[in-house]
Amino acid sequence: MAKLKVFSDEWCNAWADKIRESKEFPIHNKGWEGDIGCCISKDPKANLPEDKYLYVNFFDGKVLDVRMADKETAENTKFVISGEYIRWKQVARGELDAVKAMMQGKLKLKGNLPYVVKYVKGVQETIKCLVALDSEFPDD
Amino acid sequence: MSYSPDLSFIYFAPTKVVYGVGSVSELPMEVSNLGKRVVLVTDRGICDAGLVDEVRDILGDSLAGIFADVPQDTGMEVCDRGAEYAGSVGADVLVSLGGGSVIDTAKGMSIIMTEGGSLSDFQGMQMLTRPQTPHIVIPTTAGTGSEVTSAAVVLNREQGQKIIIYEYHITPRVAILDRGQMQVAALLAGWAFSNALLGLVHAMAHSIGAVRGIPHGLANGLFLPHVMRFNLEEVPGLTADIAEALGVNIHGMAPLEAGKAGIAAIEALQDRIRLPRRLRDIGVQEEDLKKAAELAMSDGSVVYNPRMVLSSDEVLEVYRKAY
Repeated sequence: MAKLKVFSDEWCNAWADKIRESKEFPIHNKGWEGDIGCCISKDPKANLPEDKYLYVNFFDGKVLDVRMADKETAENTKFVISGEYIRWKQVARGELDAVKAMMQGKLKLKGNLPYVVKYVKGVQETIKCLVALDSEFPDD
Repeated sequence: MSYSPDLSFIYFAPTKVVYGVGSVSELPMEVSNLGKRVVLVTDRGICDAGLVDEVRDILGDSLAGIFADVPQDTGMEVCDRGAEYAGSVGADVLVSLGGGSVIDTAKGMSIIMTEGGSLSDFQGMQMLTRPQTPHIVIPTTAGTGSEVTSAAVVLNREQGQKIIIYEYHITPRVAILDRGQMQVAALLAGWAFSNALLGLVHAMAHSIGAVRGIPHGLANGLFLPHVMRFNLEEVPGLTADIAEALGVNIHGMAPLEAGKAGIAAIEALQDRIRLPRRLRDIGVQEEDLKKAAELAMSDGSVVYNPRMVLSSDEVLEVYRKAY
């Protein structure tokens, strides 16, 4: 089976399906309300000539939406996480813990931190699902 | 000791440290390196103790004003008021003289003085992209380590919760330690936990502090053996290291046994310094525990506890043991 091109619709859908298949996610995301915008800075040297924006929306343990979006949509979400492409790639490959990345300033979080901490196991489960995808990154 | 070739870490400790009895006399030079007009941030207790007078004299004409309206547990509105005052007197440098609440107030003020708005606008982590208003700390206690950390703990009274603001750009520029060797110990601890991060002890202490106003240092000390016991099976070797550091002979002991000896040594230390051992003895009511346990689950410190904390019920159990 062909690898999923990162930032493609297929990749977004596969990630959403993976989260829906998870038995842990509904438990740890129960009660969550709010959308998340992921802002990925361009990195021409890594074959990413433009900034990318990902829109993710969960509600009470359910996946409502995972899709590529425009800047305005991503930046007007309840939680905005921004960072360089290389950091996102490290997170998506399971090489960098997302929370640690935020603490070290490699990713920047805008939004209510205690709320995110309360649901941190749900966040970790979504990343586990992302890591499980057979992804092809722009610079692979 | 050899290091694994896979080892990687970031160690962030940019604060200049000026140490020694009388080192507060270095303050004017440190101020002149950073700006011109100082607001001194402190609290009423420090004023009443007469500690402000010496600093006022040393600062001379560079002192633009004193903001002494800092309570035991500082809040977002306190930082907002302080920043407004600092702006009104044209300050470009902050000097904090006090304990953790005073230092953290100045950290919060430094954000508003640079970015504008209210501290409640800055919800997130590592959002700041530029240096904030320079801040020199003169700690008057030996304990918080806040003089070298990137964190400020500020009470959000609307949410009834202490919020951790963690930003590299609020790390104080200079720490002047004028009051003895214990301050060096606190500073080293501050560097350690600002990089290694915290755990369930602090999450529980922040939360019971928000619910019942228990001083942070007292709560940390009280919870320590209980959380060590909670974590023991996950990190017996590290707990055994504590035993050894406290002078326990762990030779021949299994790691778990040595870890338990470490917990016993901490409890013996609590007794020696006459630290209260039960929450009920320091004004906590049993009905406070459930709320505090739920708050602790959304405290940033809980994420890095060595044993993953799965539910507020687990935290409630530890609170009950400490009650």
